[in-house]
Amino acid sequence: MWEVASRAGIWPRFLFPSPTEVLQTLAEGFADRTFVFGVLASLRRIFLGYAISLLLGVLLGLAISRNRLIAETLGSLILGLQTLPSICWLPLALLWFGLNESAIVFVVVMGALLSITSATESGIKNAPPLLIKAGQNMGATGGRLLIEVVVPAALPSILSGMKQGWSFAWRSLMAGELLYGSVGLGNLLTVGRELNDMSQVVAVMLIIVVIGLAADYLVFSRLERTMRRRWGFEAS
Amino acid sequence: MNGRRVTFGGTQPPPQEMPTHSDLEPEPTSSQSLLTDRRSFSQAVVIAPPNPVAAPESKLTLRNVCKNFHTKTGKFNAVQDINVEVQAGEFLCIVGPSGCGKSTLLNIIAGLEKPDEGQALVNGRPIVGPGTDRVVIFQELALFPWLTVLKNVEFGLRMKGVGKREREEKALHFLKMVHLTRFSRCYVHELSGGMKQRVALARALAIDPEILLMDEPFAALDAQTRDILHEELQEIWAATRKTIVFVTHNVREAACLGDRVLVFSTHPGRIKREIEIRYARPRRLEDPNLVAFSKSIVAELKAEVEKVAQEELDYDWRTGEKKPVLRPRDHDVGSGI
Repeated sequence: MWEVASRAGIWPRFLFPSPTEVLQTLAEGFADRTFVFGVLASLRRIFLGYAISLLLGVLLGLAISRNRLIAETLGSLILGLQTLPSICWLPLALLWFGLNESAIVFVVVMGALLSITSATESGIKNAPPLLIKAGQNMGATGGRLLIEVVVPAALPSILSGMKQGWSFAWRSLMAGELLYGSVGLGNLLTVGRELNDMSQVVAVMLIIVVIGLAADYLVFSRLERTMRRRWGFEAS
Repeated sequence: MNGRRVTFGGTQPPPQEMPTHSDLEPEPTSSQSLLTDRRSFSQAVVIAPPNPVAAPESKLTLRNVCKNFHTKTGKFNAVQDINVEVQAGEFLCIVGPSGCGKSTLLNIIAGLEKPDEGQALVNGRPIVGPGTDRVVIFQELALFPWLTVLKNVEFGLRMKGVGKREREEKALHFLKMVHLTRFSRCYVHELSGGMKQRVALARALAIDPEILLMDEPFAALDAQTRDILHEELQEIWAATRKTIVFVTHNVREAACLGDRVLVFSTHPGRIKREIEIRYARPRRLEDPNLVAFSKSIVAELKAEVEKVAQEELDYDWRTGEKKPVLRPRDHDVGSGI
């Protein structure tokens, strides 16, 4: 249908490319490695940023749920900051880190951090007290209780926070790369626009969707399904 | 009181000379004196310990334990003035209506709560917090859903720092004791309610506690499964010689399992009566002696339940005989007999 609509010539070809053109651009892009480098650069940023935000997010969530002082100060701050789209951190990041990778990674971190933090916090708050009692009763104390009982008990919530955090991180990365970026998928979009090459724009959009879906499908859904099956939320 | 027969060890047949009814159900006055007697004795010397291996010192001692809760309506006395001595290897049952503070008492022993007044001692030392010498088996599911059955049983050993091989060996040993080795690789949700409580029992035993605290562990199970578990619990108790404090609201369960039964009253939670049960084990729930025996406890508990209902329900609620609902054709019931 797309092919037919495109070939019918209702819109000019350079504004509405046909799928064959898009596929051709894709093949060319991968052949001359521009797309490959773009994908790799973006993936590197997101993995770095996401790893940092996962680590920080879980630690922050733990701190907030365990310490009242931190909860009353940082807790409400985080709630407020969640309303701020993470791309709004870019100007600040550019001033702090300069025009380089760190600025973009920072934006990615800010995209995922807060949702992982709040999910961890609520997961721990809602962890069944009985399980914690049982853990204490069997000799788990302090850090071990936290790692062996409290965090696993909060896992369903943390996982959904991770999933949400991933999509936020991916979006922030794209936004960041669109506004500023050397090599990367967002940058390829900008180049496509500047060269009036609509088929490149559509091709890159496709890549972005595919990577987002693949991460969700191959990593998060799979993790979630394993967890749900183990916990007995879902028939195996 | 001296007509009681001590028959421990389980396999012996019940005594030829059945205790008379009055023996089982002492007059209120004599029960009162029994209670005070035991209290005064327990301070000084332990007489006729139910278990011959009992140390000179009690395993568990509660002295004048009180616990209050503060609610919107004011101070609420959960347990008051509890004095209990439990000997090593004894099976003590605590029975009482819901809300009588029996679970609170168990939490105090477990170290999960602190008494407001009085002392709780294990082996003569005050309880300061949760410890692996006292393990609780909860009524609801307290197994970890993210671990397999085997890993659940291993948990306490892992916390103790026991090596992998030894851990697995021990865990399998206790799973064998509860007859669940086939399910060691399963996750918790794949088991039935009775199997889950078996795992909980194995998990508690693997830690090798001195005292096993059981908080209505079989209350959520169907009657048939419960009967089986009653028998097995007695077997395991006989084999391991653990001290068990078993909380329940089921009078027959208490009479079936306990060496001694403490009947609790409500508001405030106090020990109303203390009864020793010395029948041969294994006992079964339908044992006619136990049935007669539990009747007397039930009568006592009924008064307590009614007291609670009087406080909680509307003013027009009355106790006493309820009129049987008869249909017209029910009038000649019994005419053919």
